[in-house]
Amino acid sequence: MAKKLHLNAFEMNCLGHLSHGLWAHPADQRWRYKDLSYWTELAALLERGKFDTLFIADVLGIYDVYGNSKDAALRNAVQIPANDPALIVPPMAHVTNHLGFAVTSSTSYEHPFAFARRMSTLDHLTKGRIAWNIVTSYLPNAAHNFGYSEMMNHDERYELAEEFLEVVYKLWEGSWEDNAVIIDKNNRIYSDPNKVHKIEHNGKYFNVQGPHMSEPSLQRTPVLYQAGTSSRGKAFAARHAECVFVTGTDTSIMKRQIADIRRQAEEIGRDPSKIKFFTPLVAVVGETREEAEQKMKVLSSYYSHEGAMVLFGSGTGYDLAAYSDDSYLEGPRNHVQSIAERFSKNAPNPRTVGEIRQSLNHLRGTGLYVVGTATEIADQLQQWIEETDLDGFNVRQVISPGTLEDFIDLVVPELQKRGVFRKEYEEGTTFRERLYSADSGRLPDSHPAAKYRRQA
Amino acid sequence: MKKQIHLNAFEMNCPGHLSHGLWAHPEDQRTRYKDLSYWTQLAQLLEKGKFDALFLADVLGIYDTYEQSADPAVRLGVQIPANDPMLVIPVMAMVTKHLGFAMTASTTYEQPFSFARRMSTLDHLTKGRIAWNVVTSTLQSSAYNFGLTDSVKHDERYEIADEFLEVCYKLWEHSWDDDAVVKDWANQLYVEPSKVNFIDHKGKHFSVPGPHLSEPSLQRTPLIYQAGTSGKGKELAAKHAECVFIGGYRPEVIKRNVEDIHRQAALFGRKSGHIKTFGVLTVITGRTTEEAQRKLADYSSYFSQEGAVLHYSANTGYDLSEYQDEDYLQYTETNHGQSLAALFTKDAAKPKTVGEIKHELGQIGNRGLLAVGTPEQVADQMEQWIDQTGLDGFNLMQVISPGTLQDFVELVVPELQRRGIYRKEYETATLRQQVFGGTSGRLPEDHPAISQLRKGNTHDAITY
Repeated sequence: MAKKLHLNAFEMNCLGHLSHGLWAHPADQRWRYKDLSYWTELAALLERGKFDTLFIADVLGIYDVYGNSKDAALRNAVQIPANDPALIVPPMAHVTNHLGFAVTSSTSYEHPFAFARRMSTLDHLTKGRIAWNIVTSYLPNAAHNFGYSEMMNHDERYELAEEFLEVVYKLWEGSWEDNAVIIDKNNRIYSDPNKVHKIEHNGKYFNVQGPHMSEPSLQRTPVLYQAGTSSRGKAFAARHAECVFVTGTDTSIMKRQIADIRRQAEEIGRDPSKIKFFTPLVAVVGETREEAEQKMKVLSSYYSHEGAMVLFGSGTGYDLAAYSDDSYLEGPRNHVQSIAERFSKNAPNPRTVGEIRQSLNHLRGTGLYVVGTATEIADQLQQWIEETDLDGFNVRQVISPGTLEDFIDLVVPELQKRGVFRKEYEEGTTFRERLYSADSGRLPDSHPAAKYRRQA
Repeated sequence: MKKQIHLNAFEMNCPGHLSHGLWAHPEDQRTRYKDLSYWTQLAQLLEKGKFDALFLADVLGIYDTYEQSADPAVRLGVQIPANDPMLVIPVMAMVTKHLGFAMTASTTYEQPFSFARRMSTLDHLTKGRIAWNVVTSTLQSSAYNFGLTDSVKHDERYEIADEFLEVCYKLWEHSWDDDAVVKDWANQLYVEPSKVNFIDHKGKHFSVPGPHLSEPSLQRTPLIYQAGTSGKGKELAAKHAECVFIGGYRPEVIKRNVEDIHRQAALFGRKSGHIKTFGVLTVITGRTTEEAQRKLADYSSYFSQEGAVLHYSANTGYDLSEYQDEDYLQYTETNHGQSLAALFTKDAAKPKTVGEIKHELGQIGNRGLLAVGTPEQVADQMEQWIDQTGLDGFNLMQVISPGTLQDFVELVVPELQRRGIYRKEYETATLRQQVFGGTSGRLPEDHPAISQLRKGNTHDAITY
């Protein structure tokens, strides 16, 4: 039987996420991002399309590398204005029953005590449908906004992230035993004090006494997403992540990456099949290929090349405005290393700045890009999964919600017909149960968080 | 027109807020606090009752002063478990049109940059119905949760709060000009870059360049609530707060505090009409006096004196388990909630023994005013207190949830409306306008966020 695939919608609480400039397309609804109804309608659409989750990206600073100025980011609305991602989740949970919600939050600037309670609160309110996309922040402006004079270096960010996870695992898994909450009205006992524990964490970056303020939610620890693909990031993902993002356009490289992370996970005792891999997908669908291509042509005419260079600048640390077309980038920088390595003059096939600039002038993105009929798109998805061992895709919107409407009306039925995508949501209350066909919403015993549990 | 009464419902995202032990009452619904429906139903009830706002308290640590143990708080469910307050707001906004939401957040442990964005996001999603209850954290156990070896000293907490507010004002009021968002579809220009400004705040406690990540919301700065009635707390309230909570149950003390706030606000150049004061009020009402008294007796049989005593101990720093009933507490400048420490000491009509204090804490409504009776009797009392004290309204506590508020909305609200002292319909627009009227949801010109931090002057601290 062909492998079942998983689908997330890739979004952000802002006007301009990754399809730079497309907010100005007449059919685009992103300007409504400040309205609750934009989000509740989107959630209802995704649940109709049987999506796994709505995945919400985030950023905590402005992209000011390109042209050494904030202006280009603002002019192209590249992830500014951008509102908080967590606050739109509860209303979407209210209008759905199955859809999961993956919220991005950085380990660099949040405090784990308050953060752990926010995630527990979300897991309670959604009845176990929360995932956390763990990121370490890479923007200098974000560091400054939180009072740091400079950004932590790449390895230290991961070291801090490791300890952050240790703290939140202790709060989520170890502070309240399963039968701590008894709500005994006759004896007026809400929780059994012997089963609620301080965590007494004393580490290099954090000292947290506890106990956790929230009682255990259905999943306790949210489903863990992670996107790091640098060598440090890969080790981190192998250790912690349940869903991993990989990017790239070369399926053989992607296959090696996925195998590498699965192998590393297996080495530390995790079940490698319990890690799901996702790559971004830009799919433009039409009744015929010509119609799809025509659609793409119109959409492309709204695309902002400058917006793409703004994002590239802050993602890599390279200001493309400061180089001539025939020069090469020196690297890597202290930003997202995996991206920097790919573009620097040390890359396997180094490209000139002019070539890099030109490559950014396209909506295709950093993963699978396909324009065609539903059949052609479904073929491509299946082919990529076969070639790389991917488990699914993060569907990017070109226009909102038109891209997802088309995908759900045309591509999803084709995938369902082929038996590779769910027709109905799987049994189980929580997101983790549906993702793994597991009988519990809790992390498996082989996950490193499990060691913080208290044995009854 | 007679003076209009303003009402908030006083709540918290937990099973045990201030009516300790009442979660065990058969009619109480608080154990549903983890369900979205608990909150949406409550919001709809309050909008039906034409309340100004639902006010959400919060805490970031456990109460472990009493008997030097966390066990009594855990056993009785005294504000533990307690979930995050902000996350229940958007869904309540979804099912209402006018009700405001006041959210408690501490300036001691939050980062102003991400906090300011959360509040802006809420103000956007609710279309201008957000208030922020500014608190400073006193609990030792909270300090330990945030990596500090000791709670931040009382006066320094207020100094940090003052700078935290300054950073937020710069982000909310001065980072984006009014005409920054141009929404020019034809030219693909949403924001005019030259009208978005770095704030470049460099202070003693915070350093934040900005710009703010959120575009301006309807109110920009949320309506500011504050509850401090200690010396420093009162100063902070007088300077920043638009709505001020005044605890206590002795009208003459409340009156003194109300006058003090207005007098101090005037020293900061603020108009008296730009500040409203709220008392804390518990109402138990029935169609007859007997019915109301029966309810009080029934509820009282569930009230946990131990819960109230341990809460008071944690708030004041006096571990009451260490005293004999006949001992007296001495008021000292503790590092905790000083106004609560004063409640039974220097603000008391006559000194009370620890036994008497425990007895008082064991009564429903122990932290504020209590009215028990028919709707007419309750309304009479409310009017009388307002006359005596100069208060503008009340924060209503729930005894059982949502029964207390259901009774109030069904019985007392119509009586207040009949007397012409309470709104029959909401006025439109933002929370700030619901509370203060006016044509804009923005802060008034005499507020320090505006008067002291003009554009071009953003590098300077607020000085007076």
